[in-house]
Amino acid sequence: MAISEAVIGAVHVSKRFGHVQALRDATVLVPAGKVVALVGDNGAGKSTLMKTLLGLNQPDAGEIIIGGEAVRLNSVRDAQARGVDAVHQDLALAPELSVVDNMFLGHEIAVGPGFLRRRLMAEQAVDALERLGIRLPSLTVPVRELSGGQRQAVAVARAVMWSRTAILMDEPTAALGARQSEIISQLMRTVASHGLGVLVVSHDLPRILRAADTVTVLWRGETVLESPAADLTVPDLVATMVGYRGEAAS
Amino acid sequence: MTLEQTHAMAVDDRARPPANPLIAWLRTRAAWILLLDIALIAVFSALSRNHVFWSIANAQSLLLSVSQILLLALGLAMMLGAGIFDLSLGANLVLSSVVGALVMRSFQTKPGDPTSYPNPAIAIVAGLLACAAVGALYGLVNGLIIAIGNINSLITTLATLGIGTGVALLLTGGTDLAGLPVDLQTDLGLNTVLGIPIPAIVAIVIAVVLWVVVRFMRYGLRTQAIGSSRMSAERSGVRVRTHLISLTVLGGGLAGLAGFIDLARFGSTAIAGHSNDALAAVTAAVIGGTLLEGGRISIPGTIWGALLAVIVQSGLVISGVSSLWQLIVVGAVLLIAVLLDRVAAIRRTRASRT
Repeated sequence: MAISEAVIGAVHVSKRFGHVQALRDATVLVPAGKVVALVGDNGAGKSTLMKTLLGLNQPDAGEIIIGGEAVRLNSVRDAQARGVDAVHQDLALAPELSVVDNMFLGHEIAVGPGFLRRRLMAEQAVDALERLGIRLPSLTVPVRELSGGQRQAVAVARAVMWSRTAILMDEPTAALGARQSEIISQLMRTVASHGLGVLVVSHDLPRILRAADTVTVLWRGETVLESPAADLTVPDLVATMVGYRGEAAS
Repeated sequence: MTLEQTHAMAVDDRARPPANPLIAWLRTRAAWILLLDIALIAVFSALSRNHVFWSIANAQSLLLSVSQILLLALGLAMMLGAGIFDLSLGANLVLSSVVGALVMRSFQTKPGDPTSYPNPAIAIVAGLLACAAVGALYGLVNGLIIAIGNINSLITTLATLGIGTGVALLLTGGTDLAGLPVDLQTDLGLNTVLGIPIPAIVAIVIAVVLWVVVRFMRYGLRTQAIGSSRMSAERSGVRVRTHLISLTVLGGGLAGLAGFIDLARFGSTAIAGHSNDALAAVTAAVIGGTLLEGGRISIPGTIWGALLAVIVQSGLVISGVSSLWQLIVVGAVLLIAVLLDRVAAIRRTRASRT
């Protein structure tokens, strides 16, 4: 696909940490309204690529694309300013803070010298959760008192709330049971149907093949396959992930 | 299950009983410490000879003592909220007071004569500014090392505790600086408004401001977010390093203000009188419910905690118990508070596992 159609993506990106070449030639492009799965074996560079797309680290070479243009991201704030947000593998929630405070951390609504408008924040949080069909016991309890699935839901809702162009999800179902994983999978489709690009890293191959439109495979920091999800089977995918078999990167 | 089936009210509060504000308040640590304060005041009033503990003079003396501990404890509570542990506040107080005293004395016409100030007001204001500036600068140094150098705050402030104390001793030659303007004590340190000592009013006003900041403002929210999970705060776009530095500057500035209050109370520096301040400040903050691990600040708890430390000290003295026991009691109170936090944390982990 053309770079100009990608809401988020990386083109021929490389990144080295000391003597570890985390990314060599990674390319992934996510069009608006689509779910793209990024898969690969452990150490293939998936998390590094996600972090690079979020501005948490900067590529040594290659380009980061947001909204069809090459951009430079020096921090998470740069990515946020361009409407990109993420669900991190560790969820990146502050356990002592309430659901509302977590959802608005870094995006607080405040007046004057910084007085929070918590009522307005709570209303918007309720709206965001309702749109995704998420139910929580309370929005004022500390996040640590929620179950794993509820925390995951909060992290997803927060990312959906602040992303205008694309949303990145790193292992969004890793900590979840089957029913909750299915809900998160459906959430991805819902989010994409709102016109956002969704890039998801997942090890749950059967589920991700059903949820994603296209699949990009990373192998030792390099993109080795980009294919419509419908054309792939789980055994094919596993073979490509572990052994660099078949098609070269497009 | 379809999205339509899960799509319902986002908040499912059927299982939650209606919140009664009084019961909710009684569940907080701050409430328990306040009740303990009241109980101790009653006990010491009953035990003290002729009930002298229960007197306006003693109340004023308690408030005067609590004001300095409270200023240190408030700064510490803010820093602890973000996960910074500052051991150097007592040394900061001493160094700030020494520099403040030197600045004030530079306005003297006859060295050592407390009445030889042509314009005492200017000398006092200059001294106040010097104390606050040195305190804030001390905090800035701590903050730069902790936030930019990524050095553990305990180690950083242990080192600057030594350095700050050493510099204060070098500047004074080890003897306390006296000869400060008389008005400093009569008009500020020992003066009262409506019966309340002026230093206590200052400390209470600052406590109220910080309570508003913690409870209702973005700064307080971000401070506790950093302490709760620094990585989460960073990934949410919070400028964590700048924020940490602003906290150490705030805590340092408050320690500098406490140093000025020292000068105003005693009319001189008290270099040797603050070796136990760190203990008292940590005790006040932690027993009040501010989490040692960061993420939660209780300003009311810090106020009642500071009061508790002072009541215990003063009550033991008035009851005729050897002053050596004060340190032991305050240390024991701190241990009990930390143990209670630990028990609560274990309960939480168990609860979240089920």
